[in-house]
Amino acid sequence: MGALGWILGLLLSPWVFVPLIYPGLVSAFAVLLFIIWFERKLAAKVQRRFGPYYVLRHLGGATQLVADLIRYLFAEPIIPEEADALAFVMGPALLFGLTLLPVVAIPVSGTFYAIRSDVSLLIVLALLTLGAAMTLIIGWAGNNKFSLIGGLREGFLSMAYEIPLFVAALSMAAAYGTLDLVDMVEVQAETAWGVALNPLAAFVFLVISFLATSRFPFEISEAESELVMGPFTEYSGIMYGLTMGASYLKYYVLCLLFSIMFLGGWEPVPPQLAAVPFGPGVVVFAKALALMALGVFLRAVYPRYRVDQAIRLAWHYLLPLSVASVFVSMGAAWLGLTGA
Amino acid sequence: MASGSEVGEVAAPIEGALSGISSELSVRGEVVSIRVRPEDLREAAERLLRLGFDHVKAVTAIDRPGEGIIEVVYHASSYGNPGLTGIIAELRTSVPRDDPRVPTLTEIWPSALYQEREQWEMLGVIFEGHPELERLLLPEDFGGPPPLRKDFKIPTEGINA
Amino acid sequence: MSGAGSGERTLELLIGPQHPASGHMRLVAEVDGDVVVRLRPDIGYVHRTVEKIAETKTYLQTIPLIERPPLADTANHNLGYVMAVERLLGVEAPPRAQWLRTLLAEMNRIHSHLYGLGIHGIMLGSSTAFMWAFGDREIMIEMAKRLTGARITYSYMIPGGVRRDLPPGFAEEMEKALRYLERRLPDYDRIFFSNPVTRARLEGVGVLTREDAIRLGVVGPNLRASGVAYDVRRARPYAAYPELDFQVVTRSEGDSMARMLVRVGEIRESIRMIRQILARMPDGPILAERYAKMIPPKWRDYVRETGRIKFPAILASLRPPKGAEAVSRVEAARGEAVFYLVSDGGPRPYRMRMVTPSLRNVVLFSHLTRGCRVADIPAIYGSLDYFPPEADR
Repeated sequence: MGALGWILGLLLSPWVFVPLIYPGLVSAFAVLLFIIWFERKLAAKVQRRFGPYYVLRHLGGATQLVADLIRYLFAEPIIPEEADALAFVMGPALLFGLTLLPVVAIPVSGTFYAIRSDVSLLIVLALLTLGAAMTLIIGWAGNNKFSLIGGLREGFLSMAYEIPLFVAALSMAAAYGTLDLVDMVEVQAETAWGVALNPLAAFVFLVISFLATSRFPFEISEAESELVMGPFTEYSGIMYGLTMGASYLKYYVLCLLFSIMFLGGWEPVPPQLAAVPFGPGVVVFAKALALMALGVFLRAVYPRYRVDQAIRLAWHYLLPLSVASVFVSMGAAWLGLTGA
Repeated sequence: MASGSEVGEVAAPIEGALSGISSELSVRGEVVSIRVRPEDLREAAERLLRLGFDHVKAVTAIDRPGEGIIEVVYHASSYGNPGLTGIIAELRTSVPRDDPRVPTLTEIWPSALYQEREQWEMLGVIFEGHPELERLLLPEDFGGPPPLRKDFKIPTEGINA
Repeated sequence: MSGAGSGERTLELLIGPQHPASGHMRLVAEVDGDVVVRLRPDIGYVHRTVEKIAETKTYLQTIPLIERPPLADTANHNLGYVMAVERLLGVEAPPRAQWLRTLLAEMNRIHSHLYGLGIHGIMLGSSTAFMWAFGDREIMIEMAKRLTGARITYSYMIPGGVRRDLPPGFAEEMEKALRYLERRLPDYDRIFFSNPVTRARLEGVGVLTREDAIRLGVVGPNLRASGVAYDVRRARPYAAYPELDFQVVTRSEGDSMARMLVRVGEIRESIRMIRQILARMPDGPILAERYAKMIPPKWRDYVRETGRIKFPAILASLRPPKGAEAVSRVEAARGEAVFYLVSDGGPRPYRMRMVTPSLRNVVLFSHLTRGCRVADIPAIYGSLDYFPPEADR
């Protein structure tokens, strides 16, 4: 009993719980399995099809992704002779790992977190940018022209979206007067949700979260009809599974961040959950999941933009809008709306 | 529906346009057939273009081993001239089978580009001056004689063999 | 990196034949950054030697052969070939057969345009447009099945007439189908044609000027989108077209968007035409008297009752006069199809030339993609409604 209690205590300690269980690896996998299934099911609904169907038929093929995962695991991962083997093999693992890394700085509740830092927003944003560099390396490692072009597209896009992303996020920091995500939620609890304080920053952040994670209409670096599978063209088996999962994972992290910054985080906490230390996290999770559902729905609505159009959108519209959102934040703070 | 007389009306200006070139004209439905010598082909095509026949619908070579010739037939018509859209000018010439050379008409009618290339590949007609007489439809390693010639033996397999 | 002349700046990109959006062909693109310097279509991957095989088959056996290459658009090519054979033989189909032919040709046009729109949709990344179009195309396939007994390769038109008469209740069912399609077109418009992303991808992309369209001998909606009002159904009307009221849909922009919208306009026109055909279909025989009277007496009652032709033996060995030649042209869904038949008096065509719309549109690949973006390649490709098997034959 003592040993079990010790293990349970270890698992429930925030330093293990956050990276491993929530919002880390386990819940990230659950989100992947759910959201990809949901995306396919939703698109099928719009397109008058069934979508995933045969695997667990009574639940609408809900375990289709588990079956896919098993298939990926047992499929032969092929390493092309001409590829740079080390970069080729390490790429997907690092991409997946680095994309998940920012969750360590995301608080689960006001009292339950792995790292409490007064610059936790900056930590999350900084760690988020690492994934794009891995995509570039992956695009180069496959020794395939389509991979190369796809990797370069990702590089160009990340140049274009990261500045407005940072500016929009920092404008909220200006509004709340803090860079600490826990404090941000507390400020929102006292005043109003960020999306009401600064809708402009919320809009920019949302659009960029689509742009940064290859959601339609910005599914540009993978564009199947142009680049086969973009940077990931040469991948097979579980290595492909990791690369595909990574973009959803990044989207998950961005949605968590959005929920905390703009949607009031874990507030309001239902009283039933308040007793559990990580209970409020469920609220953040639900908000993030709802937001992800919105993003994956766009697949059924939009075709994809050209890379130059997306870059122009980012530089010509999103960047000025994000700068404008800083002034909105300053105005809100000046009017005393943020209580700061 | 366009009547035969309409075609007849057009045949006259065609005949006029081709004056000085030895040609035989005949009318068959909507088709005005013009037979010329290979050396007059370019000149005839240029005059047809000036008359308003602005594109080629089909380039066809016909192998006639019995007569030792290959016929090259261009079907041209007009998009731009409403009076001619219902008419097809059939410009045809014959070249000896063992040395089938005709001047290319791609400079006059760029629309003949791919079809001349195809007829070169399929019947071995050499369109002199064509910018890219390269394989189009056949596999790169195809070694046999031009397959649409009548003496091409079709390899059979299985039940037909 | 490709070499001579262009230096080390450009990259040779081999798109296809194993590529999600190349179709059965290869596009050899030379790109400088994101800009296409030169693009060369490499076709022939699905060449079926139709012209050679036709020389070994009888005139009737050639019909199914003709239908294989232009798969979404079989009826129009069937019609073109049969018209050429009839001209060789000096036969004319009776009026009811002409109207039935026109009916199937227009149904097939809707089917083919939906197919093309769906492919264009997925090339731009709109899976919804793809799935919708491919789903709704099923309606016309099903109606064609009721009329002809086959879903895609109907072989419905035979020299001298058609194989089957209109089944009972067809007009009512078709009216339902047309109403459904008319309801669906605004949905397509909202999700795809007027989608801001679609418009950003297609407007001003791959512009074909009127002069170039004429010079290059382009056909079909691609030609009409450049402002040339050429349509064989108008220029040299055949079958029942002289008696139908329809517009030749044209646009003046000449870009990829215009090409797509011309097809949409043609779907609407085809719907109008099918209504007219079903309302005004003349009564009478469906096979020319010359062949109908050769149907064995024991089958005549069957033919009269079921409206299904039992082929008289003569059709298996049609022999046009020696030296006879015939040219026919029809407005197939993707553009004008030309058939040129030469007879030597035997039971097989001496030479059968089949010029399909896609073959004549191949030239546009290198013409329209000069200076475009890499991402524009599928956008332009899709807008041409190019079908590799049709071009390769």
